[in-house]
Amino acid sequence: MPKIKTSRTRQPPEGWDDIEPTLEDFAQKMREAENDPHEGKRKTEALWPIFRLHHQRSRYVYELYYKRKAISRELYDYCLKQGFADGNLIAKWKRGGYEKLCCLRCIQSKDTNFGTACICRVPKNKLEEDRVVECVHCGCRGCSSGD
Amino acid sequence: MTTMNKSDPNKQGWEQSDFPIVCETCLGENPYMRMTRQGYGRECKICTRPFTIFRWQPGKNMRYKKTEICQSCAKLKNACQTCMLDLEFGLPVQVRDRILNVSEDVPQSDVNREYFMQNAEKRLENGESYHDYSRADSAARETLKRMARKQPYYARNRAQLCSFFAKGECTRGDTCPYRHEMPKTEDEELAKQNFKDRYYGNNDPVANRMLNRLGEKNATSSLQPPADPTVTTLFLVGVTPDISQADLRQHFYVFGEIDSVVLSHAKKCAFVNFSFGRLTIKDALLKVAWGRPRKQGPQSELKQSGGGKDNQGSPVAQMPLPPGAANAKASYTSQDPTLLGSSRS
Repeated sequence: MPKIKTSRTRQPPEGWDDIEPTLEDFAQKMREAENDPHEGKRKTEALWPIFRLHHQRSRYVYELYYKRKAISRELYDYCLKQGFADGNLIAKWKRGGYEKLCCLRCIQSKDTNFGTACICRVPKNKLEEDRVVECVHCGCRGCSSGD
Repeated sequence: MTTMNKSDPNKQGWEQSDFPIVCETCLGENPYMRMTRQGYGRECKICTRPFTIFRWQPGKNMRYKKTEICQSCAKLKNACQTCMLDLEFGLPVQVRDRILNVSEDVPQSDVNREYFMQNAEKRLENGESYHDYSRADSAARETLKRMARKQPYYARNRAQLCSFFAKGECTRGDTCPYRHEMPKTEDEELAKQNFKDRYYGNNDPVANRMLNRLGEKNATSSLQPPADPTVTTLFLVGVTPDISQADLRQHFYVFGEIDSVVLSHAKKCAFVNFSFGRLTIKDALLKVAWGRPRKQGPQSELKQSGGGKDNQGSPVAQMPLPPGAANAKASYTSQDPTLLGSSRS
């Protein structure tokens, strides 16, 4: 469903009714995450739930179209246009090595001191034994394709 | 290097540098490391002028370190920009200055300090160091060397203790970058450290403790005979269970007649009571007193006084001397003043 409905709003494409409840559920969770109190959280932690939900929702649409082929091209484009999925993130998922990418901030090497990607992009076997990492951007614990 | 910014009078004395002045310990174990540099990043903790901040991680599981004082301040005291310990010995400024007997009063009030720094910087720019610590008294330098650590002490760079863990409410678990150990109950004195005191070398609790320990060590290092001549007992600590009374008697009888040996294995200690002052050998009563130590003469004299034959027989004497040691022996009688009787032995 479009976020803002006017009299000129077109009808959503075929198959929308099947995925609407799930997307509505995500929207509800997102609203809860937005209104969550920040007390007791670290500064970096505050946005982690938002990033996680954003990833999950994009992943859902991506799987429907590219993996399970359950929705039409029109419906997929409609979802992207209405902001139910992140087209840029999905574009990365289609590329080799980025199949599990957690968020776009984690590969933004210009934002880091030494021009590197985030710690969560490092494969587990390249890290020291038993080192648990939680990246500061989105709280990801590892999104390398090999893991 | 401090660059004088001529165009902007407000920026005079602001420091712009390419590499920090830091000690080996602060840099960490790994020879390959990366640093970030931020020009005019913060004000110097001592002179409050903007300077270049360097920040780096000195190894795995270590906390990030950064430069805290500017390079002119560091050069003035020959101290590390980060830990403010002496660059040569790794000791607190106060300890070094006390032992080398250097007193430098850097003025602490604003204008005086700026004037002083300006003059000092001119001298530093000419290439001369502010203090020539290498020309200091060699005995004092020896003392400092003995106090200094032989190896860099990397444990100093470890992460700080997690205060939440100490309270039992750290929610980060394994991902917590702080150390999950209970804090040891430390001296309250040592907790009261600050940059300025450590830099100027007054009331530095660490330095005070080190100097105290040095004083105590000097007092007890050589086993001086007690002033009271009636004290004739030796106290031994660390006696293991396999040491018997007979062992102790066997070891100590050469030093004089033993009255009694009291041995307590439970407390790992022993008392050896000597019967000083009333020594009898072959029914003759001998008087015993502390002798004055004889001055150690050169090698040639020691050889002549009877030990010559034993030395010849020992395998060590037959070994060729190292190249430098051949000169140490006096080849002619005239080279040894103790043989000619000119010097009292």
